[in-house]
Amino acid sequence: MKQRSITLFVNGEEYCLTIPVNRTLLQVLRDDLKLMDVKYGCGEGECGACTVLVDGGEAIVSCITLAATMDGKHITTVAGLEKNGELHPVQQAFIDEHAIQCGFCTPGMVLKTISLLTKNPEPTEDEIRKELEGNICRCTGYAKIVKAVQRASEQMRASQAK
Amino acid sequence: MSTRIMPQFELLAPQSVDEAVKDLAQYKEKAAVLAGGTDLLIMMKDENKWEYVLSLAEIPDLDYVLFDPKEGLRIGAMARLTQVLASPVVKERYRALWKAADRSGSPQTRAMATVVGNILRASRTGDCNIAILALGGTVVLRSAEGIREVVVDDFWVSQGVSVRRPDEIAVEVKLPALSENSVSSFSNVARTTLDVSKVNAAVRLDMEGDICKHARIAMGAEGPTPIRLPKTEKMLEGVKITDEVLLSVEKSVPTEVTPKDGRTSAEYRRDVSGVLVKRAIQDACNVS
Repeated sequence: MKQRSITLFVNGEEYCLTIPVNRTLLQVLRDDLKLMDVKYGCGEGECGACTVLVDGGEAIVSCITLAATMDGKHITTVAGLEKNGELHPVQQAFIDEHAIQCGFCTPGMVLKTISLLTKNPEPTEDEIRKELEGNICRCTGYAKIVKAVQRASEQMRASQAK
Repeated sequence: MSTRIMPQFELLAPQSVDEAVKDLAQYKEKAAVLAGGTDLLIMMKDENKWEYVLSLAEIPDLDYVLFDPKEGLRIGAMARLTQVLASPVVKERYRALWKAADRSGSPQTRAMATVVGNILRASRTGDCNIAILALGGTVVLRSAEGIREVVVDDFWVSQGVSVRRPDEIAVEVKLPALSENSVSSFSNVARTTLDVSKVNAAVRLDMEGDICKHARIAMGAEGPTPIRLPKTEKMLEGVKITDEVLLSVEKSVPTEVTPKDGRTSAEYRRDVSGVLVKRAIQDACNVS
């Protein structure tokens, strides 16, 4: 087949799409669904700018994923994190720690952080740095990003304890 | 090369292994088999050699990591590196593989890439490949004609080339049932943690008390394919792992390797080979 009809759930919305099979998930999200919060960085899975969450947990790079193989999957981009007008605690922590410079890596960083904190709610600094290795910040603002992840971890645990 | 544009191809999405081998019997080398895609999609963006892409994603139950104390470990074709890393038995009994998977790629690519895909990529430097070679793996291939098993020692022909026929699918890799007396580890050098290894090494030692009965040593980027080091392996058989033995191992390794210039120089690859094997042995045996 050269085209395929798939159903994608993106940020909670259901999309029935007929797409050429050679389209990457990144192309479908950006070019077809106009979700410009997913960034195109290197296009070969090195930089992490195009990171999305699949089925709420695993972070993958959408630039080397074929959309036609993702039928039925639930995709979360950074635009789908806000709930009832409130930012996700990870987004808020990135703002509070000034962990954003040019902002291009931020969507990927935030999503990778959520995937990390889902599996490991209280990571050490080494664990944070290892889990964020696949997300490159060319402004090199890593110190504040690590602080933001630590702040998000604290706040999410505090709100869970309530 | 444009990293933005994917070439044209037709997608095959078989729902069973039987259906998949039928497709491959028809299209043979015109079809690429897609598992994690972390190598294949980049290769296709660079230069597309295939008219068809056969995705394994919709075949149920290929994403297993199963251990049986008698049969050993079986890793299915769609099992991602993250699944291998999440397996307590891999971490405990197949430490070389656990360590190799842990240092492969980025967290995102580990969530996508498969061990079997790494083997099929047939890279002389593939981290998992070196561990699988040291541990003594067997690749299970399926075609319309039946099942074929190939020990990993005989699986790679040259860089990027394996003995897999174009009509075959690698459905799993098997590792032998190792007793608690078998220890293993992996070591490497790379420019950054994300980069491909410049050189890597893995060892498996079957111990009886503090005597090594049998050793397997594998190295990457030290020959045309991942290689074994039979002469150095022999030196370890029947001896206690002492500082003297480790010193002679460190001296023997560079005499067995045939590196070429590439990601780093052949000279460097030879220079560090001995110490990498030594470190892997020390880590496997928990000595420093």
